[in-house]
Amino acid sequence: MSTERRTPRSDKELWRSLASRPEGVPAAVSEMDLAAWLDGRLSEEAAAPIEAAVAADPVLRRAALDLADILGKQLPAAPGRMVVRARALVDFEVAREASGGGPFGKWLSGLRLFAGPRPALRQGVMAVAAVVVATGGFMVGGGLGKSLAQQRDDHSATESAYVKTIASNEVSAFFAGDGI
Amino acid sequence: MAELNQIDLQALTRGEKRTWDAFVLAAAPLINAVVRRTLTSYRVGEDDVMDAAQDVFVRLCAQDFRLLKTYDPARAGLPTWLSVVARSCAIDHMRRRRQATEPIDDVPEAFLGVEDRHVEKLKIPEGLLTARQVLILKYLYDEERDVVEVARLLSVDAQTIRSTHHKALLRLRAHFREDDPGDGG
Repeated sequence: MSTERRTPRSDKELWRSLASRPEGVPAAVSEMDLAAWLDGRLSEEAAAPIEAAVAADPVLRRAALDLADILGKQLPAAPGRMVVRARALVDFEVAREASGGGPFGKWLSGLRLFAGPRPALRQGVMAVAAVVVATGGFMVGGGLGKSLAQQRDDHSATESAYVKTIASNEVSAFFAGDGI
Repeated sequence: MAELNQIDLQALTRGEKRTWDAFVLAAAPLINAVVRRTLTSYRVGEDDVMDAAQDVFVRLCAQDFRLLKTYDPARAGLPTWLSVVARSCAIDHMRRRRQATEPIDDVPEAFLGVEDRHVEKLKIPEGLLTARQVLILKYLYDEERDVVEVARLLSVDAQTIRSTHHKALLRLRAHFREDDPGDGG
């Protein structure tokens, strides 16, 4: 039996000698719960499972410290491009409100197609409306067939005039020369 | 961050453009800071930071502002909640792209140590320490953080951290019949 007195271990040595990892996996912490804990709004009882989860996860431990650090300081402005890109995510309403929509816009508004921020839907409807308007106007104007025929006639006339000019020039050149 | 607390959340979740613009202006510095801090270990370029931050805003307004509608002001402040969301988004963004790397100097020594498998660690009995005591000991010894940092995180003063730490060590020493070295370790 040893009579040697053990040197007391420091707090750190004692802690490091213990298996501090808890048995089992702590429940996942929701974003709302973590935020409430960071804000110090939870009772001791409510905070316990969150603190157990944070204690068990070194990544979460470091994240909690980082977030607390950031939330406690004056922050620099974000890059302008970040703000512009984020603002563009909700983009239709202000354009509609600013212009009043015009008669066509008011009609479309009446269809209640623009309730709520669904930019993809709005853009799709606008594209379809643009095609409808363009097609209608084109048909009112006579359509493609008539236009092509007209172009054909015009081209033929131009071509004929061009051929005649060349022929006339050649004839002139022929007679201007010695005709052989 | 005071501007964030003045945002009309109902108007925001209705998709009102002016409110959204004001929200973006108020939230961008916080989201920018959180995303950059979170992505430090990934060693990414500025474009990745911008894309990750944009992901945060997309997540907030997606599906008719579904996530923003889940925010409960009675439970936590908007800046705090946004910071947690921003961190989650930044990590998700990078998980879709690559693995994290971390300079070895930034890792606490406790994580780099090789466990001596010849020495079996004693298990801390359940209930011996409270969750907070374990958390504080982990921060002080495993993370090697100082008392002031931990106090700020837990929204208590530094003396409370020292007191909690002391009580936890007393319990451990009493249970494992360890003598107190007298100098507090």
